[in-house]
Amino acid sequence: MQGKGLLSGLKVTLNRFFGKKVTVHYPEEKLPMPERFRGGELDLDHQKCIACGLCAMACPNKVIELTTQTDEQKKRHLTSYRYRSGRCLYCNYCIEACPTNAIRWDKNYENSRYHRQQLDVDCLAISKKKAPPAAQDSAKEVAE
Amino acid sequence: MGKPMQEVTGLFTIATVLRKLLNQYLPNPQWVDMVITLVNIGAIFTLISLSAVVLVYVERKVSAYMQMRVGPNRVGPWGTLQTVADMIKLMSKEDIMPDGADKWLWILAPVLLFIPAAAVYAIFPFDHQAIFADLNIGIFYFIAVSSQATLPFLMAGWASNSKYALVGGMRTVAQMLSYEIPLVFSILGVIMLTGSLRMSDIVAAQQQVWFVAVQPLAFVIFVIAATAESNRAPFDLVESESELVAGPFTEYSGMRWALFFLAEYANLFAASAIGVTLFLGGWQGPWLPGWLWFMLKTALMIFIFMWLRWTFPRPRVDQLMAFGWKVLLPLALVNVLITGIGMQTVKYFR
Amino acid sequence: MPKTQTYTLNMGPQHPSTHGVLQVVMELDGERVVQAIPQMGYLHRGIEKLAESRTYAQFIPYTDRLDYVSSMGNNLGYCQTIEKLLELDIPERAEYLRVIMAELNRIASHLIFMSSVAIDLGATTGMMFGFRDRERILDLFDMACGARLTYSYIRIGGVREDVPPEFMAATRQFLADFPEMLAEYHELLTGNEILYHRLRGSGVISGPRALEIGLTGASLRASGVDYDIRKAEPYGIYDRFDFCVPLGQTGDNWDRYRVRMEEMKESAGIVTQALDALPDGPVMAKVPKVLKPPPGDVYHRIENPRGELGFYVVSDGSVKPYRLHVRRPSFINLQALNEICQGLLIADVVAVLATLDPLMGEVDC
Repeated sequence: MQGKGLLSGLKVTLNRFFGKKVTVHYPEEKLPMPERFRGGELDLDHQKCIACGLCAMACPNKVIELTTQTDEQKKRHLTSYRYRSGRCLYCNYCIEACPTNAIRWDKNYENSRYHRQQLDVDCLAISKKKAPPAAQDSAKEVAE
Repeated sequence: MGKPMQEVTGLFTIATVLRKLLNQYLPNPQWVDMVITLVNIGAIFTLISLSAVVLVYVERKVSAYMQMRVGPNRVGPWGTLQTVADMIKLMSKEDIMPDGADKWLWILAPVLLFIPAAAVYAIFPFDHQAIFADLNIGIFYFIAVSSQATLPFLMAGWASNSKYALVGGMRTVAQMLSYEIPLVFSILGVIMLTGSLRMSDIVAAQQQVWFVAVQPLAFVIFVIAATAESNRAPFDLVESESELVAGPFTEYSGMRWALFFLAEYANLFAASAIGVTLFLGGWQGPWLPGWLWFMLKTALMIFIFMWLRWTFPRPRVDQLMAFGWKVLLPLALVNVLITGIGMQTVKYFR
Repeated sequence: MPKTQTYTLNMGPQHPSTHGVLQVVMELDGERVVQAIPQMGYLHRGIEKLAESRTYAQFIPYTDRLDYVSSMGNNLGYCQTIEKLLELDIPERAEYLRVIMAELNRIASHLIFMSSVAIDLGATTGMMFGFRDRERILDLFDMACGARLTYSYIRIGGVREDVPPEFMAATRQFLADFPEMLAEYHELLTGNEILYHRLRGSGVISGPRALEIGLTGASLRASGVDYDIRKAEPYGIYDRFDFCVPLGQTGDNWDRYRVRMEEMKESAGIVTQALDALPDGPVMAKVPKVLKPPPGDVYHRIENPRGELGFYVVSDGSVKPYRLHVRRPSFINLQALNEICQGLLIADVVAVLATLDPLMGEVDC
């Protein structure tokens, strides 16, 4: 019968009117991010990094720029590590390429910025700033 | 039992008290009349602007709840001040006039739209004896004045120098003219029963039984036609944002656009209030004061309009015309016929 | 007799219902459409050219950005193309996971379709229902690969990593709830008489004509042509599943809508079968770190939610493709717009656009 569908539609909306709401009040309430969430900025651990440059090579979009220096023991060190998040495709290739698991996502999805330059992240400086004492670091590795 | 309470809080009683008070201070009765009239006008304009502010908020909340959202909840408690914030935003916006616009028509259109929307408030019986102008052609006045709203839409559409606006304006004329007729015929049934065009008589005639029980078909036709008359979804072909962007309002911004919006909600309130007066017994009801009954019933009608809006898709323009002329109008005529037969039968058996 | 003349109306690229940045230049006679020419290119990113400077594996994230509401399908199409070129064998478990992902993505994509039909016809609330339930599927993908839109989950040789253990239960829960969701859409939208009359009988394209202009996907099947690549030329392991291909009769808007609604049900059935038959084992074949396919060219096509998605790759034996071409279904389906829309009303153009369901990311590539 004509009009029956209209009435059932009205029923649905009325039910929903009194029903449960499905949205989340964002700044106060946040959805949990899954374990595998790819997002935010790269979190570099410069102590684990062997400066092999595989991450920069794996990147499809040349997001990672790093420079290295070889010391007396023929060991390579990072001298700079720049992650340009504005160009990032969040494909996870760099993290998969890393042989020592030195990089991971920081999973902070609130990464909008006012200026374009702020999208470039100096990961090495951040990593050095929060570098934990060597003892703690090894303990953490064991725990993992 | 409840009767005295109702009398005390009635608007008429309040007016009487006010009149007595004024008599002590003002030298002659003409002045008192003038002050009372001014108070009435002030009250009506307050009602219009307040109802727009409240209705915008309510509309957003209702739509949000039907869509399983929460709606505005940032400005003020539960987002109640959201509309106020929006108004401030609109007032501070730049007033942009499109190139090649017909200047005077363009400026006049929102103002002219607002005038009939406000003028119909004169004949609403808010309470016992609380009616600004109890014209003996009350309902006729409503139809005549509210149909003036067609012209400003066309003006806005034409003057904007925009094709979307023009198509929207043309649609308005077609839609409003064709839905005016079933609207009038649905009202006709009620008028036949009361034998009067006066609003207070219509309300008085519903003391025993509301006309919605006697004229259910007319009520349905009225709701549909009134939705189309006030350009609300599902009959918002004038605006139809997915086709015409915003119809005649496409080029308007800031306060001028806000006037259109204000008129839209004033119209919504007016259509609901007329529906209440004609079909739901007006201000009559037990225990509570009459104006409160009136407001409650109007709120119910407004909810129905919003409920329709947030459920249905929009028909196409040819379907809208076909529905108006081929379905609604014959139904309305049949309703008039049945009413006539019914009245004669009742008369015969008495 | 007053003389009338037609006028031109630019619908888009900034317009509420052109699904992104499509511009339709319409020649109108009153409200009747004389011509509706789609203008493309506002979202062109040169993805085919970009492919020539990326390695084979590096191009996968770019396929995500073609048809961005069914990225799993794009990943699948591209990876299978390269696998065809490399003649790789894929582990069983990976094949099943691919099917699960692709079909879930088909449901998600058709939910977007339903939502956009609803909102283009003015039923704003209908849109929210589709998006609410699509969110459930995105949560599943999020769990499996950590992204909600650009998955890059299907890789050359398999899938990125095995799904987490809770994925199975969550998917089964979704499949259990899905009939209820469908019932709700049918109550609110499909059963609605206004929607029915809006879609029925308008925007007709006949089966033979649809074949001539190369329509594929649900838009072709709505015209009554029984052509689904999953059946006609099964890729991966699609020959192992039992499902039917919904067909329309007249090829109008309503049929295009119905066919997609039915397809969602079929897809849910495929996911259930795949979940039941899911074997254990590795999810990645042995793939060399540096992919150097032999010189030659290959074309592979799959049934994406929007139609036949084909990848043509020319290899010169180096690590990067010499040339890559994508046969984008949205792009080719969109050319039917002008023909379908002639003689309809403005409101119908919006409806036709919604039911043809082009996606600008794919149209402009």
